[in-house]
Amino acid sequence: MNISGGSSRKSLRRPDSVRIAALLRIGAAMACLLFAGSATAGSLARLPPPPVPAGNPQTPGKILLGKKLFFDRRLSGDGTMSCASCHIPDQAYTDGQDISQSYPTTRNWRNAPTLINAAYAGALFHDGRAASLEEQALFPVMSSFEMNLNLDFLEEKIRIVPEYVAAFRKVFGGEPTRERIAMAIASFERTLVSSNAPLDRFLAGDETALSREARKGYGIFTGKGKCAGCHFGALLSDGGYHALNVPENPQDRKDPRIAATRRFVAKLSQYAEYRTLEEDPGRYLVTKDRKDWKAFRTPTLREIARTAPYMHNGMLATLEDVIEFFDRGGGDGNRALSPLGLTGEEKHDLKTFLAEALSGDDIATTVPEIP
Amino acid sequence: MKEYRGKIRLVVKHFPYRYRDLSLMASEAALSAGDQGKFWEMHRLLLRNSPRLDRGSLLGYAGEIGLNVKKFTGSLDGKAHSGNIERDRQLALALGIYSTPTLFINGRRVVGERPYEYFRRIVEEELAAAR
Repeated sequence: MNISGGSSRKSLRRPDSVRIAALLRIGAAMACLLFAGSATAGSLARLPPPPVPAGNPQTPGKILLGKKLFFDRRLSGDGTMSCASCHIPDQAYTDGQDISQSYPTTRNWRNAPTLINAAYAGALFHDGRAASLEEQALFPVMSSFEMNLNLDFLEEKIRIVPEYVAAFRKVFGGEPTRERIAMAIASFERTLVSSNAPLDRFLAGDETALSREARKGYGIFTGKGKCAGCHFGALLSDGGYHALNVPENPQDRKDPRIAATRRFVAKLSQYAEYRTLEEDPGRYLVTKDRKDWKAFRTPTLREIARTAPYMHNGMLATLEDVIEFFDRGGGDGNRALSPLGLTGEEKHDLKTFLAEALSGDDIATTVPEIP
Repeated sequence: MKEYRGKIRLVVKHFPYRYRDLSLMASEAALSAGDQGKFWEMHRLLLRNSPRLDRGSLLGYAGEIGLNVKKFTGSLDGKAHSGNIERDRQLALALGIYSTPTLFINGRRVVGERPYEYFRRIVEEELAAAR
């Protein structure tokens, strides 16, 4: 999660940053509309090149600058954490834990989603509160329980590093600002894209790209399993929000530090009863619409075999657990799902499809030299 | 280490964080204590007492674990282990390490602090694979 104290939020809302954010949102929205145009519920599609907002074109210098910032621990309050602390290249840009790593002495309350293919997402975070990678990038930096760095301080920390000053001048024609830092990081993140996944080869007509079991699993995915009702298109996501009532983690409920995080986020979201809140309201905190209570964004399923554990709170450890959850019809009291009645063999084939078809080539990331 | 005594071995490499004023000296302190057979005793004290890692504190820790403080001080001030530390630092950079702690459990990279159960799972898998 990613909400910080008052001063940082206030300064993020300066008129110039609002203009830049609006511009980037427009660019991202246009790109996503174009991209979503080919998606149809129930059917899957090949992954096209990622959309790039008009206001933040990709350049090699910007991508390298963003990569350096991504790995730089200067971006955290006590200098112990970088973006790569929770989005670890070796772990498909997740951290492999149920609840994401957190700033020392605090606890996070949600799972770290993969950054692979985040370039395609129309909204970021489990609750979708950021409309673009540019908008998303600074939230964890200033979040009290993530990287915990005041954004005014961030700018000054970067401005005292001659190599960064020179790089920003070359890339942006000006000095480091929080907006440019976000733009550079977003540019790097747009390079983290699945390529050559067996599904894409299969959809291009190569029947041999999937094993027999995976092909049967594909049939379950698009048929009896009803997965493609929400996980469709090139990203295998409808970009929507659904309340599946994934159970809360009983251990996390007992942790007072997580309670503090939950109350803090709810308080900043103007949730009146934040002090007695004992569960994650999900998208509701963004929209205040009752239908969004405990609803979370439909994630991409690309690279799913590499991004365990699953769901917004990491409650499901394996793909088998996920399939069992959906086969049961989801969590108690949900109205989005119904039991599927899959046989053991169907579950096995479905798992084979998920594990085999959706993993692209490894993304080789070389850690850059940090100035 | 207690739970898997005799089955696993822990090797520490030094990757002092350049934005921490005292971390390089703390590495020197641990290795200087090692010269007198008390690396682990100093290592534990450094972790427990961080960030109190200034020179005066380090000399105090040396006395606390019964080191020859004069000898320890000479080693610390003379940066006797700077070559070893630099060699470890170069190894870390070559391995693409960008954060501490980073552990390699039979080659499996684990970045950052993790709950004990996270390590236990990997250790159990690696022990099973080694049988």
